[in-house]
Amino acid sequence: MNSDGGGASEEDRPRDDEILAFHHAIRAADAEKLEFVGDKEPLSVLAAEYEAGNPVFRAKVEKLGQTYVAIRRARGDGNCFFRSFMFSYLEHILETRDETEVKRIQKNIEQSKKALIELGYQEFTFEDFLSIFVEQLDSVLPGRESSVDIDQLVEKCRDRYISDYVVMFFRFVTSAEIRKRAEFFEPFILGLSNMNVQQFCKTSVEPMGEESDHVHITALSDALGVPVRVVYLDRSVGADGKNTDVNHHDFLPPDCPTVEMPPVVLLYRPGHYDILYTREVQNLAPVPRVEEPQDLPELKGLQEAKETPVKSIQDANSTQEAIAA
Amino acid sequence: MSQNAGGTDAIAAQQQTNNTAAIAAHAPNAKASRAVSQPVDSHSVSRRLQSELMSLMTCGDPGISAFPDGDNIFSWVGTIKGSKSTVYEGMSYKLTLKFPTDYPFKPPLVKFDTACFHPNVDQYGNICLDILQDKWSSAYDVRTILLSIQSLLGEPNNDSPLNSYAAALWNNQEEYRKANCKHFRDAGGVMAISK
Repeated sequence: MNSDGGGASEEDRPRDDEILAFHHAIRAADAEKLEFVGDKEPLSVLAAEYEAGNPVFRAKVEKLGQTYVAIRRARGDGNCFFRSFMFSYLEHILETRDETEVKRIQKNIEQSKKALIELGYQEFTFEDFLSIFVEQLDSVLPGRESSVDIDQLVEKCRDRYISDYVVMFFRFVTSAEIRKRAEFFEPFILGLSNMNVQQFCKTSVEPMGEESDHVHITALSDALGVPVRVVYLDRSVGADGKNTDVNHHDFLPPDCPTVEMPPVVLLYRPGHYDILYTREVQNLAPVPRVEEPQDLPELKGLQEAKETPVKSIQDANSTQEAIAA
Repeated sequence: MSQNAGGTDAIAAQQQTNNTAAIAAHAPNAKASRAVSQPVDSHSVSRRLQSELMSLMTCGDPGISAFPDGDNIFSWVGTIKGSKSTVYEGMSYKLTLKFPTDYPFKPPLVKFDTACFHPNVDQYGNICLDILQDKWSSAYDVRTILLSIQSLLGEPNNDSPLNSYAAALWNNQEEYRKANCKHFRDAGGVMAISK
């Protein structure tokens, strides 16, 4: 049987699997340049990046500095939104020590689990991913056997096993939320692709490395009840062609109390997400502020966090080193 | 569940004859990660495979089955029967499923052991199915893989064939069935009599 008949004519062009292998090789090479989440860097690194670049970008980066002080890069492997969300949220809990928030999100996790089962997912397909995330939540609260500090959190979020498991858990949660509210999400999905909701979830949400869009962010934010701010750094200049204000969008889950600044703040540049740090909450750059943390406005939930100033100083020191280096 | 990505929905299928190239491309990445992270918990992988086995045995889906090959939980033998009212009715195929140690992050390597005449299966038994390649996700399991392959049998993706002869013949279902039966018998298959 000539089951290989007709193959010869296709020898000349690269086969699909070769293209795919090439794509993987590029990503692998790219991946080695950066950890899943990088070090916290002052926002000036962003200015340096665009020094000789587009003037609109330069103007926007400067304005960005009015509200934000630092950036933590995420690896551009298609999972950057989920990895940024993971780190940003866990770091937020670590700093606020907000046990109430952890209890709240655990209820949402239970809801997502229920939704997955109702949608026909076998429990064994997601239970390991779920429990790894719950372990991480536990570890960022103080006084636990597994409690971590910021350095240990960074280390954990750079561990492939932990990071990939949490990303996969978020992908399950996102997919379940979209499918549960298919009617709501359908028009947005049709705007992005020509797929139906189920196809979209199977091909653009659940596989690792599939990039995230506002559909994914809305679904994850709603499902877990975590507000997310996305700050857009692009070349758009408003209707008058001169406006270089930096746009942002706050993804606010339903029934969520209004927040001044969402716990998760991400910087979006076309095709990629990184983590942003705001001036108010972070005690990063100006040294005098760190020495008098009591003066910082709006340190919600930090009253009992007696060790926070110490951590802040460590943070500031490491940033000083980063600047010096 | 009914998310069989096989069939007409299958996106730009990957030719898989040189599967080792794709695996080699992954290797540097995997190596680098292993240096910094804990090795993947092989206990949790085997536990998951045990759960899959249980689920597969209790689900009782018609026409699919799979079982570990001997003591090795990372290597399974599966069976797929062609669905009724398709040109594969009455035919039964053996497949091998090899699970990597980072399963379910990476898909198992699934191949036809019984020669299969199909647009998306090559002469070595390699299968071209998106969910076994770039659209793989941990949400799939042995059961959904086998169901997807079963559905692929009756709904090939003829746009990107591994077997162009089979793809060209597909439109003539009568001729296809004849060629298919001959191929199946030549490969030592015994047709089941279905009622």
